[in-house]
Amino acid sequence: MSPKLRLKLTRFAVRRLVATFCVLTAPLAEIPVEPAKNPFAADAWKLPAGQPEFRAGPAAELVTNNCLLCHSADYVATQPPLTRAQWQAGVEKMRGKFGAPIKTNDVPALVEYLTNNYGKENPAK
Amino acid sequence: MVTPDFLTLSRRGFLRTGSLLAAALPASRLLAADSVTFPFANGERPLVKYPQKRPLIRLTTRPPQLETPFSVFNESLLTPNDAFYVRYHLTNSPPKPEALQPDQFRLTVKGKVATPLTLSVEELKTRFEHAEVVAVNQCSGNSRGFFQPRVQGGQLGHGAMGCARWRGVRLADVLKAAGLDASAKQVVFNGLDTPFLPATPDFLKAIEADQALDPEILLAFEQNGEALPWLNGFPLRLVVPGHYGTYWIKHLHEITVTAAEFKGFFMNPGYRIPDDPCAAIEPGTTPKRTVPISRFNVRSFITSVEAGATLKAGVQTLVRGIAFDDGHGIREVVFSADGGRSWRTAELGQQVDKYAFREWTIAFTPERAAQLTLLAKATNRLGQSQPLEPLWNPAGYMRNCVEPVSVHVA
Repeated sequence: MSPKLRLKLTRFAVRRLVATFCVLTAPLAEIPVEPAKNPFAADAWKLPAGQPEFRAGPAAELVTNNCLLCHSADYVATQPPLTRAQWQAGVEKMRGKFGAPIKTNDVPALVEYLTNNYGKENPAK
Repeated sequence: MVTPDFLTLSRRGFLRTGSLLAAALPASRLLAADSVTFPFANGERPLVKYPQKRPLIRLTTRPPQLETPFSVFNESLLTPNDAFYVRYHLTNSPPKPEALQPDQFRLTVKGKVATPLTLSVEELKTRFEHAEVVAVNQCSGNSRGFFQPRVQGGQLGHGAMGCARWRGVRLADVLKAAGLDASAKQVVFNGLDTPFLPATPDFLKAIEADQALDPEILLAFEQNGEALPWLNGFPLRLVVPGHYGTYWIKHLHEITVTAAEFKGFFMNPGYRIPDDPCAAIEPGTTPKRTVPISRFNVRSFITSVEAGATLKAGVQTLVRGIAFDDGHGIREVVFSADGGRSWRTAELGQQVDKYAFREWTIAFTPERAAQLTLLAKATNRLGQSQPLEPLWNPAGYMRNCVEPVSVHVA
């Protein structure tokens, strides 16, 4: 081993030791400013497959066909238990503000399903 | 260890080591905990791995909305890109990767300007001076799940926020290069995410033309020294320091200068708050007048002590947390270990940036076995602070009350 290389290796070993010592003795309260390097930076840009389903029940298919056009079922399932009036307003908002092509005739069945499955009037899951 | 009471991971074993070892462990180990449960009705959420992300708390699938596990805020002052929260509104989100590549992606500046511009990211980078800011991005509805009475909307815990080093070019420089017309009133921003139905309003946001010339507003292409993650707006996003995330348009590809006030859905009726200094009204009522949401209020969190944790009587603990506001800067954080009867002043860490998370620490020795409620309360340089009791508004925006953390002393 050349003296130059040996010196280099020694320096490296000393630095490692010092670094380890610093980590071990760092006061608990010190939080680094910079985040750790992102180990996932090189991931393939592909969204995970699959999405949650609506609860089974009458009109589940109607809900699936209407709501899933634009958003997943967890948009509904993660809401707090809502009253019938709130679900009614929700369906109307989707039709009015967001242009959902929900037929007028289908609104009562949708509201009924949402209230029964995700509503305040029936706390059962 | 580091999970407060508003977030309980389903598998406790993960908790013991998770936050400390997260950076060192392969992704497969991180999948050990597969869900979290917030302490409000319908609060169970899966932890799901997305591209360039560690497993995050998934609120919704299509479009994706992901929340940062709270323990991350005790890992470092800047939030790692792989843990940074994700919020989309429109079905076709995120935009397909092909549309974001250098040969495809262009930013256009048009409307009431002397010279409309079409620029690649590379042209932006070479033509304009670079600028940086370390700033918090927080969702308007961060912590909405804790509202009482509950309100509709994304039912978030406290993890729809993050602090990062943003690098880009100044919006003002780009607007000056285009040359604002004397008639310019507002500047409207559009990203490449689109609705599924043509009838659904696109997600557009507007700011006043004079505000748009603020040199602190950036068109950012880097987050924490890396290209923006796909789910955080690659290749270009607006950064509006001190302002809620709703203005930080992702995949920004269109800037339109208008002579009239822009009236899109996400400016009105969306994203509005009661026209009141506290943005609050009597719970369950409707505001008389509303204005667009804009700047952050003051917030602070305890990050180092998990609620439900057991502390030892007579043994000193260093309690740590974060505080932030809209850029006036944090002046003081006070800490109480007795539910607010007495307060002591915490030590502030360095101010990395007036828009960044500010670390605070305080040594605390519980005297005897007891059940304690720990509180932290921040005040900014304007004297604005946090209420002890939560305020309410119908959209569930801007929660900033003191968040209690209860612990046992044994």
